[in-house]
Amino acid sequence: MAQATAGKETGANLPFIYREYSPEQLRQALHKMYLIRRFEEGAEDSYTRGLIHGTMHLSIGQEASAMGICMPLTLDDQITSTHRGHGHCIAKGAEVAKMFAEFFGKTTGYCRGRGGSMHIADVTTGNLGANGIVGGGLPIAVGAALTAKRTKSERVVVSFFGDGANNEGAFHEALNMASIWKLPVIFVCENNGYGMSTSTARSTAVANIADRASAYAMPGVIVDGNNLSEVAEASHEAVKRARAGEGPTLIESKTYRHRGHSKSDRNRYRTKEEIEDWMTNRDPIMLYETQLQEFGVIDQAGIEGIREAVRQEIADAIEFAKTSPSPEIANLERYVYTEPL
Amino acid sequence: MDQPVRELSYAQAIQEAMAIAMEQDERVFLMGEDIGVYGGAFQVTGDLVERFGADRVIDTPISELGGAGVAVGAAVTGLRPIFEFQFSDFATLAMEQIVNQAAKMRYMLGGAVSVPVVMRFPAGSGTGAAAQHSQSLEAWLGHVPGLKVIQPATPHDAKGMLLAAVADPDPVMIFEHKLLYKMKGPVPEGYYTVPIGKAEIRRQGRDLTIVATSIMVHKALDAAETLEAEGIDVEVVDLRTIRPMDTQTVIDSVKKTSRLLCVYEGVKTLGVGAEVSAAIAESDAFDFLDAPIVRLGGAETPIPYNPELEKATVPQVPDIIKAARDLVSGRR
Amino acid sequence: MPTEVILPKVDMDMATGKISRWYVEEGAPVKKGDVLFEIETDKAAMEIDAPASGILRDVTGKEGIDIAVGEPVAWIYAEGEAQAAAVAPAPEEAKRKEAEPVQAEPVVQFQPAATAAKGEGARATPLARRLAAEAGLSLDAIVGSGPKGRVTRNDVEAILSAPAGRMEAKAPNAPRRSVGEPSASSQALPAGGAILYHAWLRQGSGRPIVLLHGFGADLNSWRPLLQAEPVDAPVLALDLPGHGGSGRTVPADLDAIAARVEATLAALDVGALLLVGHSFGGAVAATVASRSMADVRALALIAPAGLGPEINGAFLDGFVRARSEASLVPWLKLLVADEHLLSKPFVNATLAQSADSELRGVQAAIAERFFADGTQTFDIRKQLAGLRIPVRVIFGAGDRIIPSSQAFGLPGEIALHVFAATGHMPQLEQREAVLRILLEMARA
Repeated sequence: MAQATAGKETGANLPFIYREYSPEQLRQALHKMYLIRRFEEGAEDSYTRGLIHGTMHLSIGQEASAMGICMPLTLDDQITSTHRGHGHCIAKGAEVAKMFAEFFGKTTGYCRGRGGSMHIADVTTGNLGANGIVGGGLPIAVGAALTAKRTKSERVVVSFFGDGANNEGAFHEALNMASIWKLPVIFVCENNGYGMSTSTARSTAVANIADRASAYAMPGVIVDGNNLSEVAEASHEAVKRARAGEGPTLIESKTYRHRGHSKSDRNRYRTKEEIEDWMTNRDPIMLYETQLQEFGVIDQAGIEGIREAVRQEIADAIEFAKTSPSPEIANLERYVYTEPL
Repeated sequence: MDQPVRELSYAQAIQEAMAIAMEQDERVFLMGEDIGVYGGAFQVTGDLVERFGADRVIDTPISELGGAGVAVGAAVTGLRPIFEFQFSDFATLAMEQIVNQAAKMRYMLGGAVSVPVVMRFPAGSGTGAAAQHSQSLEAWLGHVPGLKVIQPATPHDAKGMLLAAVADPDPVMIFEHKLLYKMKGPVPEGYYTVPIGKAEIRRQGRDLTIVATSIMVHKALDAAETLEAEGIDVEVVDLRTIRPMDTQTVIDSVKKTSRLLCVYEGVKTLGVGAEVSAAIAESDAFDFLDAPIVRLGGAETPIPYNPELEKATVPQVPDIIKAARDLVSGRR
Repeated sequence: MPTEVILPKVDMDMATGKISRWYVEEGAPVKKGDVLFEIETDKAAMEIDAPASGILRDVTGKEGIDIAVGEPVAWIYAEGEAQAAAVAPAPEEAKRKEAEPVQAEPVVQFQPAATAAKGEGARATPLARRLAAEAGLSLDAIVGSGPKGRVTRNDVEAILSAPAGRMEAKAPNAPRRSVGEPSASSQALPAGGAILYHAWLRQGSGRPIVLLHGFGADLNSWRPLLQAEPVDAPVLALDLPGHGGSGRTVPADLDAIAARVEATLAALDVGALLLVGHSFGGAVAATVASRSMADVRALALIAPAGLGPEINGAFLDGFVRARSEASLVPWLKLLVADEHLLSKPFVNATLAQSADSELRGVQAAIAERFFADGTQTFDIRKQLAGLRIPVRVIFGAGDRIIPSSQAFGLPGEIALHVFAATGHMPQLEQREAVLRILLEMARA
């Protein structure tokens, strides 16, 4: 995937992604991170206006984590995602128009209106589903990796999950099985510090989720989840190891969600100062933008161009969703079984 | 039947079905606790590991939730896993993956995937294994759209329905009564399937329809023999599948006999019999009823250890005879 | 352009919300992120932050009224930005949204469908209702034979098949059945108390045979006998009090039981009959014959009780207490000389009764009254001595419940059949021979 890289001539001290990816790929990553951010802002706006029902879990602030992990993945590789999964979906290659359509419950949505925010996934780009159950996707990812191994494919599987999932039994069962069978799976914990309102300090016996890896005899890697290059580098290593048949890796990507857990969160468990600090000093998009400019990969006009393109893309996507048809009630039971009963 | 027919036990019939499925289709493999060299808790997988290797007869750790999830993940990505639980009671540990994932993935993704997983659950009482190893939880899973739930009652059906389950694109849960494993019956050689979702009339009769599942089919047939000597002519319907349920066969039978007795081992309240009864009450068979519908199900208690108590917990042949007599003689 | 402040959706099922208080006054400066106002929902109060920095103006969202989600409630103007001349109309009560014309649903007056059973409290099965409706019969006119007088198919069909003259013979009496047209299936009569549960086991012509079973059995115990060869006579079997489907009462003495038998025979219009009793039923039969209330033309007693004091008390006790196959079968083996005759259906049929602990409880009380301490407390020799009808006594030489020797010393005109290698159940163990004897008596 890395042809002409951005900073080859400037030396080996550059951060990983500038050595590994072309400027075009790096600009594309910024584009996607903006797409994730604006998609969620658009969804939030539609929600607060009462245009969509249910609830949603926004990953605003975690864009580098989703994007960095997906950078080394091919279209054939697979992921399992979470209730906070819009970013994973976009990073893996989904179209925002079909995602908005799903948000609006339309037939043109990825799940034909049956899934909604919590289940948006584009199977054609390797997303095996966003999951409403904490820890639900972990064993499924192990199963997908078992398929990859049994069919001798090159495919790897990434399982995204949050810090809350590390205390679910499924997490431990899944890591153990992946390790004993040396399966090509990468466990990515996006640790945003809180499982709903409960901080990892209050919920988790170890200091870092990655510390759990030693119990299952696999590497445990901690990265700054708001630093795209760091995340991508860890992912790159884990993918390499998985494709080589050496088994799973646990990556802990430490990050932060700017918004509450869901739309009914009153933010009683975090201070304004804490949120403010992450938003103003550690915003992953801002950090990446600055870095890109610093290394001359993009200039201010280029950034404005990306923002404008994304704005248009989001506006078109919302329009597509609004004008798409709703499902027929008569088809309510469609897709329960492969062959209708 | 074209194929030669031999006498096989229920367990042997299942093992043969799994062997055929694996021979025919490279994607099929087995997963479960101690199903390899140990041969499975009830020796159903037997020596299949020697024929197909540890790659296709996979011993899992004691991880029902994780194991079930791995099977789901393998199924959704193109394999055809058959996952064995040691006891159906352990479904409770894996309910998340069965109910939230396997059953709903296709729907949540708007039809973009199928989950062709087969799960096998040794179920039922009568082995002295007490409260946590004797339950009949099929109605739990029967309540979940997206799953198919079957209860083959004979070696013939155990093989044919398992092969149908492996061929089915959706998750199929098989409840196998442990007391049936040693029961012998005619089983054709080679590949054949018995359709999921189709009940079977095991005995024709005029006076009373008994709808039974799993081992209760045999108890109902024993009772019918006694009742015949008393001049009571019983029709026995083997439901075979509880989701999707073949209510039409039951409706047709009740329209003929005007009386319905449901016999099942799961706890009576909110069980399979409730659904069968409701199906009749809601159907045009209602106008043919000449007596109240009666259910014989498991007692409202965990399964006890003491053998006499254990027997008293689930319907036995004399209970069926008595209920049938009362129904036909107008005492109910 | 000023930034719109809307009433946001903050809860999953929220369509409207109330602003409980504004934290910033109209015209005051705000900073993005400052708390602007508080929304009150069913669950909690939520603080809403300012979406932009500037001056708060055009505050239209009043405190305390319901405002629809998405409605603008104020605007934030940038420093120096001119205030818009016209702002959006103030949000009224959220009813505005609901004020859209609603398609008026036509009012439908539901009328209960006419049912076949218009009579209040008419109790009938769905099938009986349908048959009655199809025949234009009112359920009120039909006496039900089921529990609490429930009308079943048989009741409706009995009316339909009855001769016209019998149609008015409705409540309070049950539709009567002539002996010539007995039903193959059981038919409990409604008049509770006196009438015993019974079944016509065979239809036919000629003198009816009436069968009285032994202690702990029921009328079904006669079915194997009738399968021995074709029977052309009508055969009626009764359940004795405390047995089978008859009331679970403990009769005071043999006369009390005889009275119930007589009442039942009268209700059924049985007329002249051959009365057959086994064991305890034999004693009842002898009593009925001696009372001359029923038209008993001949009497057959199979291993009858009441001919001597001795009876196998251990059997009675064990049989009544047995609840499982394991505890029942050893006692059943005492009944017959050849235990292979204990067929599975027979065992299951008996077990089905043993499982009914209320039934066996009543029977234990009956045993206590009639066979106290393993002793037969009644004697039928006197009754037999006064009879002027043909009487035959049938015994198995190997009877382990009531010794066959008790048959000795009866009046000379009573015939005695003793079968070798036979136990307490000649009607099961020697069914061809026993049935032949009975048919011969019925034809005589």
